[in-house]
Amino acid sequence: MKRKRLVSVILAAAMAFSLAACGSSAYSDTSTTDTSSTDTTSTDTASSDTAASGEASTDDLKIMMETPVESLDPQQATDGTSFEVIADYTDGLMQMDKDGKAVEAIAESYENSDDGLTWTFHLRDAKWSNGEPVTANDFVFAWQRAVDPDVASEYSYMLSDIGQIKNAAAIIAGEKDKSELGVTAVDDKTLKVELEAPVSYFLSLMYFPTFYPVNQKFFESCADTFGTSPETTLSNGAFVLDSYQPAATEFHLTKNADYWDADRVKLAGLDYQVIQDSQTALMSYQNGELDMTLVNGDQVDQVKDDPEFLAVGAGYMWYLSPNMNKVPELANENIRKAITFAIDRDAIVTDILKDGSTPTYTAVPPQFATGPDGSDFSADQEKFKDVCAFDAAKAADYWQKGLDELGETSMSLEMVVDADDAPQKVATVLQEQLQNTLPGLTITIKVEPKKQRVQDMQDGNFQLGLTRWGPDYADPMTYLGMWVTNNSNNYGLWSNADYDAIIAECTTGDLATDASGRWAKLYDAEQIVMDEAVIFPLYTQCNAEMMKSNVTGVEYHPVALNRVYKDTVKTAQ
Amino acid sequence: MAKAQTKAASVVPFDCSGRDYEPVPGDFVLKEYGADSELDTNFASQSFWKEVRKKFFHNKGAVVGLVFLCILTFFAIFGPFMTPYSYSEQSAAHNLAPRIQGIENMGIFDGSETMTTTTGSKKYNGYAEGKLYDTFYWFGTDKYGRDIWTRTWTGARVSLIIAVAATLIDMVIGMSYGLISGYFGGKTDMIMQRFVEVANGIPRLVIVTLLLLILKPGMITIIFALMLTEWIGMSRIARAEMLKLKEQEFVYASKTLDAGSFFIIFKDILPNIIGPIITQVMFSIPTAIFTEAFLSFVGLGIPVPQCSLGSLISEGYNSFTTHPYQIIPPIIVMALLMLSFNLIADGLREALDPKIKEG
Amino acid sequence: MKKYILKRVLISLFTLLVILFVLFVLMQLMPGSPFNDEKLNDSQRAQLYAKYGLDKPVVIQFLTYVKNMLTGDFGVSYNISKNTPISELIATRLPISMEIGFFAVFLGAIVGLILGVIAAIWHNTIIDNICTIISVIGVSVPSYVFALFLSYQFGFKAKIFPMLFDSKMIMKSSVLPSIALSMFTMASIARFTRSEMIEVMDSDYMLLAESKGLSGRALVFRHALRNACIPIITVLAPLIVDLMTGSLVVEKIFAIPGIGSLLVNAIQSNDYNVVISLSFIYSAMYIFIMLFVDILYGIIDPRIRLSKEGS
Repeated sequence: MKRKRLVSVILAAAMAFSLAACGSSAYSDTSTTDTSSTDTTSTDTASSDTAASGEASTDDLKIMMETPVESLDPQQATDGTSFEVIADYTDGLMQMDKDGKAVEAIAESYENSDDGLTWTFHLRDAKWSNGEPVTANDFVFAWQRAVDPDVASEYSYMLSDIGQIKNAAAIIAGEKDKSELGVTAVDDKTLKVELEAPVSYFLSLMYFPTFYPVNQKFFESCADTFGTSPETTLSNGAFVLDSYQPAATEFHLTKNADYWDADRVKLAGLDYQVIQDSQTALMSYQNGELDMTLVNGDQVDQVKDDPEFLAVGAGYMWYLSPNMNKVPELANENIRKAITFAIDRDAIVTDILKDGSTPTYTAVPPQFATGPDGSDFSADQEKFKDVCAFDAAKAADYWQKGLDELGETSMSLEMVVDADDAPQKVATVLQEQLQNTLPGLTITIKVEPKKQRVQDMQDGNFQLGLTRWGPDYADPMTYLGMWVTNNSNNYGLWSNADYDAIIAECTTGDLATDASGRWAKLYDAEQIVMDEAVIFPLYTQCNAEMMKSNVTGVEYHPVALNRVYKDTVKTAQ
Repeated sequence: MAKAQTKAASVVPFDCSGRDYEPVPGDFVLKEYGADSELDTNFASQSFWKEVRKKFFHNKGAVVGLVFLCILTFFAIFGPFMTPYSYSEQSAAHNLAPRIQGIENMGIFDGSETMTTTTGSKKYNGYAEGKLYDTFYWFGTDKYGRDIWTRTWTGARVSLIIAVAATLIDMVIGMSYGLISGYFGGKTDMIMQRFVEVANGIPRLVIVTLLLLILKPGMITIIFALMLTEWIGMSRIARAEMLKLKEQEFVYASKTLDAGSFFIIFKDILPNIIGPIITQVMFSIPTAIFTEAFLSFVGLGIPVPQCSLGSLISEGYNSFTTHPYQIIPPIIVMALLMLSFNLIADGLREALDPKIKEG
Repeated sequence: MKKYILKRVLISLFTLLVILFVLFVLMQLMPGSPFNDEKLNDSQRAQLYAKYGLDKPVVIQFLTYVKNMLTGDFGVSYNISKNTPISELIATRLPISMEIGFFAVFLGAIVGLILGVIAAIWHNTIIDNICTIISVIGVSVPSYVFALFLSYQFGFKAKIFPMLFDSKMIMKSSVLPSIALSMFTMASIARFTRSEMIEVMDSDYMLLAESKGLSGRALVFRHALRNACIPIITVLAPLIVDLMTGSLVVEKIFAIPGIGSLLVNAIQSNDYNVVISLSFIYSAMYIFIMLFVDILYGIIDPRIRLSKEGS
């Protein structure tokens, strides 16, 4: 049960990296896939010849989803599935282009004031599917809902902490009325947004569904049923929802003829099918009941030679977090180092996960944060290999040293993991690797549903925890900020004054404005984290997918909107 | 004593209230109290259990079942020691097909598998590719390179332990509960049945899952969770049987003879309903094993890397179309285990039931 | 009889109330909360607790819940389908689970009875052995293995039935899941019928009936089967509830939008209201069926009726 809960803002250039890096051999750039490729499956060979010259089909694109939609209310939704569907039928001010860059959608143009504190958006003539025009008030209403304590949106911090919209934090805390939010409709077609501080990635927030408009009149006419059926949803986007029930396992969208950019949309519709069983999903795909599907690592052997197989970046970094506060053994730096040296990350991804995930040797995962010189912050995975990469001999040395310091000869540790497929697989391998490399160590695995595992870690009630983090914004700080003393995600309660000083300097101090100086300092911070083995980074997640060769132009993004179908073409078979 | 009364009950025709029977003084004396309990020569001539044994071994199915169970138990105990591998030891030999010394020369179990991929079938021998010429995994290996033979028998152990536990739970808690509730009837029955309804009204899944969340997952917790839920079915059967029998003449007869309630329940009635009870026990064994398998399925069963047949099926399940040999051994062992239990149950039931005559 | 039924109904309602309370307490003991995610901070969580009234004492929550329930309001989902009234979620899913469950029970009971009777009549012959083997396979193999096999053979290979549940052709897409689910019922009923039938047919009262000159068929159906029915119904009743409320793994394999999968998702994501409501509905169905069975006992077996009316 994978829950895609990602809040990320990805800069354009990073996207190309992420997709290419993840795919390595398997990824085929969907927008340029050669549909006449000859080595397709035996069943497809005959049909793909015709597909080469094929016209856009009037067929729906049949899409497999792993989990049902949690909510179609843009201000309540938190998971990737819901975001994808909401974005199918709703446009925000901006949209994601192929590379994940923010380009104009409902906003026709925009200006930013010199001090960076005021954004003005000029809206185009777009229409809701009930004929009403999309106005600036729709945005004001929606954004006020997002911070309204009565609505209690889980993503309200997108407006406050991340978006820095004026008064957002105070409204969420209940100190100010929601009408004081720094967003105003100057007129029907002009939206003005005031910020507390300049936010460089503000435009790329605008394609995030929490910022999507809601028509107040329509919303109020639906009362409590907003977003629960085709009748209670309103479209201003590429598709219109025409069959849906809450938690539906199958639902459908049709092309929106009144969409402002209707010419761009080639698909007749989207046909979603929720299938939780990967076996069933793959068989349905092979039988032609699906055009695209997710593949479980166990099935990769079956499909890895298939040109329709691809690996798509999912954005999360998985890592092992030691509880340095409560477990004296893990407070010992040598023991922690021994553990990180004992982990064979390559074996985890190539032998067990098989879904294209990449081993990670840095505290900040690659492929999401781009520096002032345009390069990926963690492109160089070799940088810290000498302090964390698998090395049985080093591991044994540090282990012995640690044991001597502690005056012990053996120890047993408990590792808490989610009751999902991938974490359990990883834990099984980790257990074996650690026990084999470190004599006298016994690892027990405690499997818990995710909600409970998170609570246990937040309460400090764990020894080793297998957890993950998806980036909130396109800066290494989204990861490095977690290890500051008393940060709520610093589950191990690690504390280092030097580290705190660097982070403070980079956030609010002198370096906040010095981009390249700050970048260098962040490497210093990362160095401390890796040297002291504060966390043991494991891998950056990818998803293995299958996509029919007659489908082109599906845009994959590891964050925010996982899949976008505006440019997708499905040629006749 | 019990036998004598049973006999008495069964010769009285069902719809006859015994009017034609002339009571004699001896009817009202508990036979155990006097030496004349030997008077019933028909039954006294051979021991009850001797006859049970004879009847049981006369039943071909039951003997087959017993042999299977013995073989399975033997492998469950000694199987894991027959290979150099342990159940949790991982190796680089991932997803190898079964390969057995000797038989491999016949072209089967030679470690090659034909994988059906989306790009056509592919014949593949992991042993040859990995240059593991002297390596033999009789049932193959799983995705971690663990020996499926060892894991299957280790898993069978877990299932056998669960089976024993379930039987004990059924016999001790469920049966007594149902018999007592049914026998006393009235207020006792009402209160006891309300309790059953409340206990049973909450979905088993919820109780078991919550328990495993609150307690530490593991064998003890699973048995404890089974204890809280598995007895209910048996108590219902026992109660229903009790209701059917308790109004019968031999019970009245026993009551008239001033026998205590527990004597009547466990000595008079129990032997008469042992058939359905044993059948129910045999049904609760697969239920218990399936419950454990289900828990493994949602990740709350026996903690990894330990395994049960259920968790092995769940594991093999995901690669069913890729590497089908991984799911087959646990399924076959499980099916054989169930087959044995059922055949033995049938044999026992027929042998134990005083009402079923030979032939 | 009427008084007896009325009394039973009242007791059942009380039982349901007790169950509801027990569920509430269990939910409190459940570790974690519905709002646990790496990205939520404490104040946000407090806000969500306040929004759904989860910050109040259990007793208050319980009373509010019971009060709302009487008006048909089961609360809203926290996670699975945010803020959707649960009555709505259940209304769309329960009929599907019930329909497939009903097919499965129907199929299982009929085939099971037939197998059981056949096995009993030709007791200790090859026919008996064949029936026994069929029913043993039914109880020995988990339903999801059957489901996987059926879906692979008849859905994927032969393409006779759809592999995925399709709301446009409910009958056709119910076939495979119903068969997969019915195996256990079928096997249980067959085995139980056989053992009961053999017992009844060997009883002296059957000997009497036989000696009265009754023919074979009348003997089997009018006398033997009727007497064998009581324990069979006892076995069948809980199976009905289990099946009607859905088997989550089979639902998962065929992508059926039923309530079994909903319940598991809810337990895993601590969606309290969904867990409580679904468990409650399950309980209500169970208690209702048990009530029905008890009344049915009276009709089938006069001795029980008499004894109950007497007391």
